[in-house]
Amino acid sequence: MTDTTHSPHGARSAQTDGSARPVPFRGGGFRPATNRWAGPLVFALLIAFVEVGLRAGWISNLTLPLPSDVLATFVQLYETGLLWRHLVPSLTRFMVGGTLGALAGIGVGTLIGLFGLARAGLVPMVAALFPVPKIALLPLFVIWFGIGEGSKYALIALGTFTPMVVATYGAVDNVDRTLIRMGQSFGLSWGSIVRKIVLPGAMPGILSGLRIGLAIAIILLVAAEMLGAQYGIGAYILEAGSLYDLERLFAGVAILSVLGVATSAAVAWVERRVLRWRS
Amino acid sequence: MHATRRQTLALMGAAASALATPALAQSRAIKVGALRFTSHAPTFIAMERGYFAEAGLEVEPVFFQAAQPMAVAIAAGDVDYAMTSITGGLISLAQKGAVKVFGGALSEEQGIPGQSILVSGAAMEAGVTGPADLGGRRWGMTTAGSSFHYMGAKVAEAEGIGLEFVPLQKVPAVIGALRTGQVDAWAIVPHIASGLVSSGEVHEIGKIADYLPGYQVTTMFGSTANVADRELTGAWLDAMSRAIADYNATMIDQSSGEAGVQEMVSLLAPYVYPDRTVEEARGSIVAGTMRINGGAALNVASVRDQLEWFQSEGLVDSSIAFGDLVDTSYVEAVGA
Repeated sequence: MTDTTHSPHGARSAQTDGSARPVPFRGGGFRPATNRWAGPLVFALLIAFVEVGLRAGWISNLTLPLPSDVLATFVQLYETGLLWRHLVPSLTRFMVGGTLGALAGIGVGTLIGLFGLARAGLVPMVAALFPVPKIALLPLFVIWFGIGEGSKYALIALGTFTPMVVATYGAVDNVDRTLIRMGQSFGLSWGSIVRKIVLPGAMPGILSGLRIGLAIAIILLVAAEMLGAQYGIGAYILEAGSLYDLERLFAGVAILSVLGVATSAAVAWVERRVLRWRS
Repeated sequence: MHATRRQTLALMGAAASALATPALAQSRAIKVGALRFTSHAPTFIAMERGYFAEAGLEVEPVFFQAAQPMAVAIAAGDVDYAMTSITGGLISLAQKGAVKVFGGALSEEQGIPGQSILVSGAAMEAGVTGPADLGGRRWGMTTAGSSFHYMGAKVAEAEGIGLEFVPLQKVPAVIGALRTGQVDAWAIVPHIASGLVSSGEVHEIGKIADYLPGYQVTTMFGSTANVADRELTGAWLDAMSRAIADYNATMIDQSSGEAGVQEMVSLLAPYVYPDRTVEEARGSIVAGTMRINGGAALNVASVRDQLEWFQSEGLVDSSIAFGDLVDTSYVEAVGA
């Protein structure tokens, strides 16, 4: 930092000379500001609106449940211990299926990004696999992996796998080539370049792919629990839906939403740690 | 003048209602929910033989894939009347004041081949030869709170055994799971059961009628507003009762012999098996014969038992009273 004209101090000193025209500050903006209150406030207003509307009767009780009843259902779920009986199998399926799918996706995506042969061979296959509704494959998975946990892991893993592959090889493609050339001119080995330049450079793209992949995993959790699951948040929601029990339905949906927020927060935490080099 | 099919039908309907004394002062258009099942025969008979038209009703059938969505469609006002089994969803909607049961239809009756208890080939090989051997095994069902759940629980209760209930959402999924041995047992209406048993992959080990004699399998229900309209619901019941009488006389009592059965099969086949010829459909339709309560009489004891079972399982709110679910003022109560 020897050149002073780039620093704000340098700019100010140039202005005090009187020789330069004063330039108004045009920077700022385009930077998402953090606001602690806006998010919860929107939730609270929406819930209050529904509660008041239902109590006053201008929303039919067939269309939505009373938010306070949903809360009571949730408390009951917690007190009877049923919450954990539903949550533990679902979280296990989410973790196992999501981890398998994400790791395989990152692995295959990196291979595609690094090797021409892998790209030529696998990209069309991933493109063919991506738009297939994974729910449609569920009966097939039941025959391949049985009606137990195997088919559920496989469904969630496949759902996470395809977006991870696409995000990973896109991110590897976008790594700054000049950095790689620099590594080469410093005489780094191929392995070092991949480890120290390509993977860290691809990490922002991989992590934003992970957000999408894990959100799809949560969606597929409900689908995976359609067949043969007695416990699980998805099974709970499906049962509530078939019983037309709106309170339980919304309690289950709220749990999934919380799971989504938690997953997103976890990825943000990883981003802050892994991408510290960016700031 | 070149009359379209719709116009012709409308003219025919008008002619029919002019000839007979219409039950309703003014003809009214209603929508009726139906499944492509033999158990919905009365709806199809009443349409084909003009009983609805004579009662002053212009009926448009709306076809569904499962019982549960019919109850939701009635609550949403898309369908006026329907006939299906009592499910947890139906009871929950009745609690919210959206639907009401007012008549009975399909019943289990000992001596008439009703719903069968089936087991998979694998379970049969493992030594399951009767419902008493099912202890700890996997019982297939569409969803919690479906009639399959109720039947399985009642069989288990009678035999003093425990069953594991496996939700599979749809009837074809349960059939697939039973064939491949992913579930051990299931109970289903005879026209599906007979087809499965004849394929040799699954075996029949019992009858639901032995466990639940008089089980009111399906009921007639409509939106609360329609059920409160005595004129409209009365007209609907009149037409359906005539059709039920025709069905029972022809298919169960065989009053008009083989020719009558053949004629009835020809009438039902295009509705129940639209993708088969009459001859192909004949076996399944005849095998699917079950008693439909004359005059849409309702087995009140069975409905009460079903409601109490749903409540004891915590599937529906325990505060629902019998009167919230059923309006008993229309039809004869049996089995009380």
